[in-house]
Amino acid sequence: MITITDLEKYYATEEVRTIALNKLSFKVNEGEFVAIMGPSGCGKSTLLNILGLLDDPDGGSFVFNGIEVAGFNERKRADLRKHNIGFVFQSFNLIDELTVFENVELPLIYTGVKPAERKERVDAVLEKMQIMHRRKHFPQQLSGGQQQRVAVARAVINNPKLILADEPTGNLDSSNGNEVMDLLTELNETGTTIIMVTHSEHDAKYSHRIIRMLDGQKVTENVLSEYISK
Amino acid sequence: MILNYFKIALRNLWKDRTFTFLNVIGLSTAFCAAFLLGMFAIFGLSFDQFHENIGSIYEVYTNSQTAKGTEISNANPIPFAEALKEEVPGVKKITRVANGGPLVTFGEKTLKLDVLWADRDFFDIFSFPVVGGSKINPLQNKSSIAITRTTAQKIFGEMNAVGQTVTMRRDNEDVPFVVSAVIEDIPEASSFQFDAILNFTDLPASFYAANKDRWDAHNHPVYLQLDAETSAAKFEKATAAFSNLHFADDIATAKRDGAKPNSDGEYRQIHLLPFEDISFTDFNSNSSKVNKTLPYLILGIAFLILFIASVNFINMGIAKGSQRLREIGMRKTLGASKGQLFLQFWGESIFVFSLSVFFGGLLALLLLDKFQTLFETKASFALIASPGIVLGLLLSLLLITLIAGGYPALLMSKLDTLLALKGKLQHTGKNKVRDVLMAVQFCIAILLISGTLVLWSQLDFMRTKDLGFNKEQVITLPLNTKKDRAQLLQLLRNALEGKPGIISVTAADNILGLGKDGRSSTIVMGFDYKGREVKTNLLNVDYDYPKTLDIELIQGRAFNKQYASDSLSIVINEAMAKEFGEKDPLSVRFLLNDSIQYSVIGVVKDYNFQGLNKTIEPISYFMNPSSPKYYAFIKVAPNNLSQSYDRVKEVWNTLEPDTEFLGSFLDENIDRTLKEERKMTTMISAGSILAIILSCIGLFAISLLVVNQKRKEIGIRKVVGASTSTITVLLSKQFLKLVVFAFLIATPLSWYLTTQWLQNYAYHINLSVWIFLAAGGIAFVIALATISVRTIQAALQNPVDSLKTE
Ligand SMILES: Nc1ncnc2c1ncn2[C@@H]1O[C@H](COP(=O)(O)OP(=O)(O)OP(=O)(O)O)[C@@H](O)[C@H]1O
Ligand SMILES: [Mg+2]
Repeated sequence: MITITDLEKYYATEEVRTIALNKLSFKVNEGEFVAIMGPSGCGKSTLLNILGLLDDPDGGSFVFNGIEVAGFNERKRADLRKHNIGFVFQSFNLIDELTVFENVELPLIYTGVKPAERKERVDAVLEKMQIMHRRKHFPQQLSGGQQQRVAVARAVINNPKLILADEPTGNLDSSNGNEVMDLLTELNETGTTIIMVTHSEHDAKYSHRIIRMLDGQKVTENVLSEYISK
Repeated sequence: MILNYFKIALRNLWKDRTFTFLNVIGLSTAFCAAFLLGMFAIFGLSFDQFHENIGSIYEVYTNSQTAKGTEISNANPIPFAEALKEEVPGVKKITRVANGGPLVTFGEKTLKLDVLWADRDFFDIFSFPVVGGSKINPLQNKSSIAITRTTAQKIFGEMNAVGQTVTMRRDNEDVPFVVSAVIEDIPEASSFQFDAILNFTDLPASFYAANKDRWDAHNHPVYLQLDAETSAAKFEKATAAFSNLHFADDIATAKRDGAKPNSDGEYRQIHLLPFEDISFTDFNSNSSKVNKTLPYLILGIAFLILFIASVNFINMGIAKGSQRLREIGMRKTLGASKGQLFLQFWGESIFVFSLSVFFGGLLALLLLDKFQTLFETKASFALIASPGIVLGLLLSLLLITLIAGGYPALLMSKLDTLLALKGKLQHTGKNKVRDVLMAVQFCIAILLISGTLVLWSQLDFMRTKDLGFNKEQVITLPLNTKKDRAQLLQLLRNALEGKPGIISVTAADNILGLGKDGRSSTIVMGFDYKGREVKTNLLNVDYDYPKTLDIELIQGRAFNKQYASDSLSIVINEAMAKEFGEKDPLSVRFLLNDSIQYSVIGVVKDYNFQGLNKTIEPISYFMNPSSPKYYAFIKVAPNNLSQSYDRVKEVWNTLEPDTEFLGSFLDENIDRTLKEERKMTTMISAGSILAIILSCIGLFAISLLVVNQKRKEIGIRKVVGASTSTITVLLSKQFLKLVVFAFLIATPLSWYLTTQWLQNYAYHINLSVWIFLAAGGIAFVIALATISVRTIQAALQNPVDSLKTE
């Protein structure tokens, strides 16, 4: 599903030039659950942003579903993004002025789904995430775990093929974190590809494969034993 | 999707209540002011536009070359209009017009009416619709009178006016007139304002009959309508032969005195002034300036106020945008396009604007009455409402929302997705836009404040300047009467002279300033003296004129009952003495009408008998007992002015029980001539107050934001030992710098503009640096006070609290 080859990304700030990604290459197959780990500043978020088509690489190739997308302009990326990719962030990034229902509904609005169908689909997802009873609440009125569940609901509402999660449990305590991890696993089992950045070895165990990075490069890649056994 | 936008707009506006409130208040006030001022200006500009033929109507005026330069006059001789129409091709219709305020009687009722005398063509040229009676032409017959609907009601009540006979006092007898027609009331936006109109030939004999065939007595304006094929320029050229034929004598005199011909080689040139410009034209002897300053100044102020409020909106919009970065980033991540985001944010602006336009409009309607009284205007929304104006209004509102609402919306929709998600602003350069806009706001405010101060000073100067006569103690009284004026004056004298509080009584045929009757006139006479023409203002006075008005006699004597020959003597002012150019002005003898010799018996000190916009012209007093005196002047004792006024009123009411007492002190009359200036001063004062308030609303909002953004910085600085005052200074400095910058830009501009304006006045104040420093100081202090509200509070805060919030 995803093939990156010699991917490069630089940040130039005044005098200093930071190499965030240094000729990074790997592959992710459809239906995989991949965890990306590494010390702070090694380029994990940068990578995820590029994979999520929020950012454009400075070099190398990025093939998404058989299409070379490196060099796509903002418009084309946005179009591909809104139909194929869902995002879950560490800080939830829910819109404070919208209710739970409206936050989850938002991607459907931007992909032009009719109101009646929207309601049906949002209700179904909220039901599945067990936050239906909170549908009229605003984000500030929810706990962190609930907020992240809403964020996951929003990420899956469009039935994306790929979900990108940047430290989804970073702001949560362990029990809430486990709940979110279970949700992701469930999604993965229904066929959604998941790429997750994490600092937690515990969370990484939920995945099939861990890619370890250092200074913008891949250092190791280990397939988890449980997965092999499956 | 629209619903989603609408919902989030409302929630956002509610969340930022303070800002929304400040925005709506500021914009509503600005719209209210803009509506009222715009209405006033458009009303002014729409004057006389209701005439169907407006594009082809002109007033005739003449430029004549004299030894002293070009003189302009719109007064014409009686035979002029008819001859012009017959002899110069291109005139479709032409009319002479004179106006006056005679007393009209019907049964028991006597009213003073504003009357026009005009020729038949008047109703063909101008659009004053007839609603009853002679539809063909109300001025068809001599001795007929057409009156307006309201006047008809006043005189006849419910009775049918047409066919009734009223009498009018003329040449000391009551002359009957038959009402031939009732015309629609004159629109407010009309230069001609009258209650009744009569045939031009029905003017008093001294005006009409005596001058019927004379080409040297100029006493009325002439209006004409040109053929469709004739242009004004072409017509003006074609009048050369006409002028040379009929004014041969004047031209010969001018040549003899050494006048130079104009660039076309002519000594007299007839010109046409478009009637559309009449209400903006000020005819005086050496210019006919079309002056649209007031309406455009007011439109300008309206625009500036809207600009200031819009800038507030833009600045608050940008500032608020920086607090919504995550929302913007998330929406983009989820696939929102730039267009969708722009529409969303712009939609929020439109919502705020619509609300403000609504409240502003409502406020304007509520304040309309007060506005009309304050600015002495009849302007109202109904009067100017037309499809064009409404469309223009809607378009300008749309344009304002597009710019003021669209600019922040555009900035937000263009934000980089990733940076927005991180909650960072792309670059700090946006503050530059904000700073420039705020500096411009204060520039406008300081400009208007200094303008206000200059206008105030000049107005005060004009009101209090010593004009060379006693304006505090002298009551002027128009002698409106059906009796013989001379006789009434005598009765008045007998009743008043020697009474306590009354010092002296005199009369003249012209007033000083503007009386309660609202009339003023200028009579200028030219005659030959030692082979050249001299010109002088002419005033027919009664005995004791200089004494009553405290006009200083510096040479010779005033008129005296002891000298029978005084009817052939004149008293002149210094300017006239200079005109004669004799070492001893008292030696001057000259002939009038080629036969009667007059001699100068006294010289009075120069005094401002006209407005302060004019230098003092020559004036000569004549003492002709038979010439009518229209105004009495009564000097009263300085103490108990109002008691003396009441005494004069009492005497008048016993002598003339049927006519209203219109006496007023001279200082009131002078005040009345300053109406335009007062209006302008009030407008610009109101404008500057609004400008500074609105600028400060914007400043307050921005200071709120900046302080909020800097809470942490303030906390840390306090922890490491900064004092409250250093922090206040730190926070205030960046804003006060803008005010100082604005002051530096505004001052030269204001200096230039006010200097230009003061040129309109022959007597004016000298601009002092202090006026501008004061304007800058006022703006500075108000701005400081505004930001201090928040900065001091922030600086006083316990640093622990400010650190916790991060
Ligand atoms: N907008 C930017 N401008 C300049 N440098 C940047 C920018 N974003 C990231 N970097 C730099 O690129 C490098 C990689 O950053 P990135 O955010 O990808 O790290 P990360 O692995 O996600 O770290 P963390 O685990 O702390 O989130 C870092 O050295 C960072 O300083
Ligand atoms: Mg990161």
